[in-house]
Amino acid sequence: MSGYEIKPDEEVLKKPNKILLIGNPNVGKSIFFTELTGIHAISSNYAGTTVNFMEGTLSLGGEDYTLIDVPGTYSLNPTSEAETVAIRFLESGGKAVICVLDASNLERNLQLALELRRYKIPIVYTLNLVDVAKRQGVAVNAQLLAAELSAPVVETVAVKRVGLDALRQTLEDMLEGSAPLHQPCGNCPGCGRGGAEEIWESAKEITARVSSRGEAEPSFADKLSESMMRPMPGIPIALLVIGLVIAVVVGLGELLRGYLLEPLVDEVIVPFFRRIFTTVLPEGVVQDIMIGEFGVFVISFEWILALILPYVFLFYVVFTLLEDTGYLPRISVLFDNVMRKLGVQGGSLMYMLMGYGCAAPAIIGSRAATSRKERIVITAAICFAVPCISQSGALISLLAGYAWWMLPAMILFSFALFVAVTLVAGKLVKGQVDPLLIEVPNLLVPNPKSYFRKLLTRMKHFLKDAEVPMMIAILIAAILAESGLLRLLAVHAQPLVSGWLGLPADAVVALILGIVRREMSVAPLLALDLSALQAFVGGVVSLMYLPCLSVFAILAKEFHIRIALAITLSTIVLALFTGGVINQIGQLFA
Amino acid sequence: MSSAVLSLYDVQTSVPFTVASLPDIGLLGSLGLRVGTRIKVENRYALGGPVLLKVEDAFAVAIGKDIATQISVCETARG
Repeated sequence: MSGYEIKPDEEVLKKPNKILLIGNPNVGKSIFFTELTGIHAISSNYAGTTVNFMEGTLSLGGEDYTLIDVPGTYSLNPTSEAETVAIRFLESGGKAVICVLDASNLERNLQLALELRRYKIPIVYTLNLVDVAKRQGVAVNAQLLAAELSAPVVETVAVKRVGLDALRQTLEDMLEGSAPLHQPCGNCPGCGRGGAEEIWESAKEITARVSSRGEAEPSFADKLSESMMRPMPGIPIALLVIGLVIAVVVGLGELLRGYLLEPLVDEVIVPFFRRIFTTVLPEGVVQDIMIGEFGVFVISFEWILALILPYVFLFYVVFTLLEDTGYLPRISVLFDNVMRKLGVQGGSLMYMLMGYGCAAPAIIGSRAATSRKERIVITAAICFAVPCISQSGALISLLAGYAWWMLPAMILFSFALFVAVTLVAGKLVKGQVDPLLIEVPNLLVPNPKSYFRKLLTRMKHFLKDAEVPMMIAILIAAILAESGLLRLLAVHAQPLVSGWLGLPADAVVALILGIVRREMSVAPLLALDLSALQAFVGGVVSLMYLPCLSVFAILAKEFHIRIALAITLSTIVLALFTGGVINQIGQLFA
Repeated sequence: MSSAVLSLYDVQTSVPFTVASLPDIGLLGSLGLRVGTRIKVENRYALGGPVLLKVEDAFAVAIGKDIATQISVCETARG
């Protein structure tokens, strides 16, 4: 859950030394934030990644300021949650505003630039993406623009760190008072006094005066984007991309596991800890709990590093690529018609796909959805039918030991479940879902540095969030086993676990640990020597079983504790019911 | 010469049009779509899918069917 923390606004609003980073969605604000503060913000090539805000320290001329990455907004009319957050920050005041403008799309960006002046906070404008503009044949004269805005304008290519020193210098000069400040005259549209129409006219006129448009040869990316967006071959390409993602994760993951990580864990990591614990601890129960066959320092590494990590790593390798190129919103557009039939819209698909990585940022990210109904349906689909990658990794590892068709069957099952849950939730939840309305960003070649930094951040989060809870869970399981409590539980759960689900009585451990994290509802099954039918039933129960503890906390926070409880209970009931039905049907054929 | 007013959802692709009227949805204006904005439909998606527009030759916006049918456009005079 780290990294997805929702901070209370009030404290930040009160800070006096604020510098606000503001701009349209997808203009590169988060890259400025990372470069200026050294804190890594997860950004993507589509609108709405920073739904909440990030804060960090920006040091300028010996003085520390709080830099705030305000969610991207197209305007300052409070029509969405992101805009409301932006307005609240502006109203709380600040030392300065850094307004990031997209040079390739100046007219629309200038509307926000002009609206900002209403708040009488000194503004530095950065003219970002000048390289993209140049490729599109657009030239913007920064000096003329600065004169029109009566404020400093710095040209930048943030991903390549071009112009960032100049931006720091300009900010420093402005904050020290050595640079001239814009004095609002108070009533012209240029000072943000006019209505929306006047600001729009003004943006149009300024754009005409400061920029020129030449002919541009469509680049390879433009042509590729063009064919990706035509229904033909766009839809087959999209299906191929999704198929490739699965193939890479499953296929390469198995290689990575078998040839690299399993040997590493079995031959290096576990023996290392075994040497330590056998010398430090006397033989007996405690040593067994630590380093015995099912010890904390054996199982947690085997499960997390060898069986789950390869899949998590490969998923984020490809998913981060899809995010940074700007391919995800394209999938939303291509499948809007299908999603509409399911009762939501194409934009919802983006969050659901994020859920295949981790449910927590996906559910928080769905704040950008424009209706409450859409948010609830997205959340329901993620909680009931979308396994997170950590859990998927464990499922792939579990099913890999059986017939080849087991994994495709599980994927098909999860897909059918996804459609069913979305349909049912769409019918049950009252209200309207707004139609699709999104900007489709340019297709970009990701910047290697920010790509790898994002991948690294995600892997760090995963290891931190998975390894320690896994160790604790295994410790709990070991204590349950050693104290005899597990026997007792197994006996009481026997009718359910063995009678109804057809699993060995010890599988009750999976149901207990699965409450903490999703992959733990699968991992214990790996050690149980299950039959094919048992493995499939166990997989189905785990797939549908309740979302993890951090998701529960997010549900309670974002919606209501009642919704969190309702989702948790109904996932448990539905999981046990469906798993049992599959077992009973399977028994008939066995 | 004035030309006929058409629904954005029905117009031919790759032909320049000008927005004549549009529903009162804040985000449309924020995305740069107003009366007088020049647009071109690049793609239309079957089975109730959206239309993909190029706006002012600068950026792409996808608009769901239920909004697109409420936007009317007229042909841009070619000159």
